[in-house]
Amino acid sequence: MKTSLIKTVSKIALVLIPTITLSMAATAHDPKMHAKKAVKADCSKMDHSKMDMKDPVVIAMMKKCKKQAKAPHAKMDHSKMGKMGKKMDHNKTKDIDDKSNKKESHDHH
Amino acid sequence: MKIFKLLLLLIALALGTTATVMYSGIVNVAADEPHSDFVYWLLEETRNNSIKKAAQHIEVPNLEDAELLLMGGADYEFMCSSCHLKPGQSESDMSLGLYPAPPNLAVSNDEHKGHEHGDENQADRNNFWVIKHGIKASGMPAWGKTHDDQRIWAMVAFIKRLPTLSPEQYQILTAVE
Ligand code: HEC
Ligand SMILES: [Cu+2]
Repeated sequence: MKTSLIKTVSKIALVLIPTITLSMAATAHDPKMHAKKAVKADCSKMDHSKMDMKDPVVIAMMKKCKKQAKAPHAKMDHSKMGKMGKKMDHNKTKDIDDKSNKKESHDHH
Repeated sequence: MKIFKLLLLLIALALGTTATVMYSGIVNVAADEPHSDFVYWLLEETRNNSIKKAAQHIEVPNLEDAELLLMGGADYEFMCSSCHLKPGQSESDMSLGLYPAPPNLAVSNDEHKGHEHGDENQADRNNFWVIKHGIKASGMPAWGKTHDDQRIWAMVAFIKRLPTLSPEQYQILTAVE
């Protein structure tokens, strides 16, 4: 009885352990480059004939290009930063948090 | 009594196996060695069900909005495209080097198989949750620590349209001066 039980258990182990740890295969990779810069929207390529003016994508493109045409080369258009401006908020918040944390710990000394 | 003994033995075996696997160093954690099919399936199921459950009560706002697309587009290009690619690009250092590999979000869901996406609303919900909270032990960061919900919804709106965008449209939507 005991031996058959041990046999069963070791059979289970023999099947389980290799299944979990083995059967791995590698694939070959060929990495490529990517670059990141501030770029102007290339509005010359918009194909107006094919555009559905109700499509949010089209509306968004029109907005972007209009805005860009109005403010050529100004590095940042602060008047319109509304939502864009939020991008920087979290950095600021972190700084402020860090500072206030430090201050607090000093006050307690 | 026999059953009890058997159970005890199985528990001991399970613990023993776990300890052996843990301490022997036999598990290969290299990102350039894919999981076995079984382990992959295990992790994938766990992940999908976890996301589905966590996201099920999230309310999806109207995502058909130009401002959202612009906000999300700029963020996507800056923060996500290195891993999740963009129209006209099929691979990057990150998309090839990371494991689990970041799905190519510039192609439609049908083209990147391997897990379920549910209906459209559920897909938006899942995406929101994943972007906000990230995925443990993968390259996917939790962006909710540094970005508010509106900006995350903007990215959800953007990636919803992303598979339909041409490289030119993508360029216009994401360009930041
Ligand atoms: C460092 C690489 C990396 C970056 C940067 C990154 N992700 Fe991910 N992302 C991943 C990986 C890897 C996964 C898959 C994780 C997994 O399968 O367990 C993933 C999964 C996702 C998913 C789930 C996709 C699906 O269908 O299951 C979404 C949505 C997503 N990322 C959105 C984003 C967004 C939006 C950004 C930018 C704010 C972003 N990711 C930035 C690596 C990255
Ligand atoms: Cu997916």
